[in-house]
Amino acid sequence: MLKKSLALGIVAGILSGIVSLAYAKLYHSSLGADFSRVASPVGIIASSLLGGVLAALGYWLLDKWLQRRGEIVFNFLFVILSFATVLAPFGVKLPLDLEAPELFPGLAIPMHFFPALAWFTLKPLFIRR
Amino acid sequence: MKKIIYPVLALLMLAGSAFTVISVQNWQIAEPYSISFTSNDASGIFKTFSGNIQFDEQDPSSARFNVSIDAASINTGNGLQNKHAKSEEWFDVTKYPVIRYDSRKVSKAGNGWLMEGDLEIHGVKKATSIPFTFSKTAKGAVFAGSFTVNRNDFKIGKPGGDVGELIKLDISVPVLKK
Repeated sequence: MLKKSLALGIVAGILSGIVSLAYAKLYHSSLGADFSRVASPVGIIASSLLGGVLAALGYWLLDKWLQRRGEIVFNFLFVILSFATVLAPFGVKLPLDLEAPELFPGLAIPMHFFPALAWFTLKPLFIRR
Repeated sequence: MKKIIYPVLALLMLAGSAFTVISVQNWQIAEPYSISFTSNDASGIFKTFSGNIQFDEQDPSSARFNVSIDAASINTGNGLQNKHAKSEEWFDVTKYPVIRYDSRKVSKAGNGWLMEGDLEIHGVKKATSIPFTFSKTAKGAVFAGSFTVNRNDFKIGKPGGDVGELIKLDISVPVLKK
């Protein structure tokens, strides 16, 4: 189960990272706001991957401890944590020479949901009950 | 004829000496200038600065600093904090869009200078002295200075709270000769 879970987490992390990069590019071309110095492509991929791996470990642990209820508890926790992390971009202090810091949450917040979306989308391919 | 010429010449010289021609050095504000503020909690910059500067090291009595900052150009690096800073509770930029300083007197102070004038923020005008240095560069010069204001003197924000009452301002303005 750990191997499957980690495989899912890594793939979901990479996929969500790619989607986040595409979103960042769209955001920049639409609004002209460039936050690549703060949210670099490498940073975005790394964060998404980390999210996927942490989700994988969390899923494996909950599945091991709670068994039948593990999955539903994990789903709730993953979604709640995704929402909770949304607060972070509002509190970020950006470099003072960056224009329009008020646009930064609009860029970062959707990215916080992409790992969960990727996980739930890909899960049936990796883990079957 | 000679009787007329000499008195007329004397009269002209006397009249001419009544008018003293003063050559005042005017400076044009250049970029990149820096108007930054720091406190125990909030810090940031003002991005828009303009005004007229007259300054001659040889004649400080003729110096004049009439400068202004667009209050809405404040940037703390955080969108929410910027919005809060511009709101009614703080700078109220809709009602008081400009921070202004008009000097009354400039004098030598040690290795630098001291300008005395009126600082107007948030509709409140207060006598404020600003020590500064004047450094010549290849293209012009740089005025630089630091001073501290108490935000309560200008009724900015409520007394107490998370944001310290003493706000330090650091200013660096490159200028070019006009």
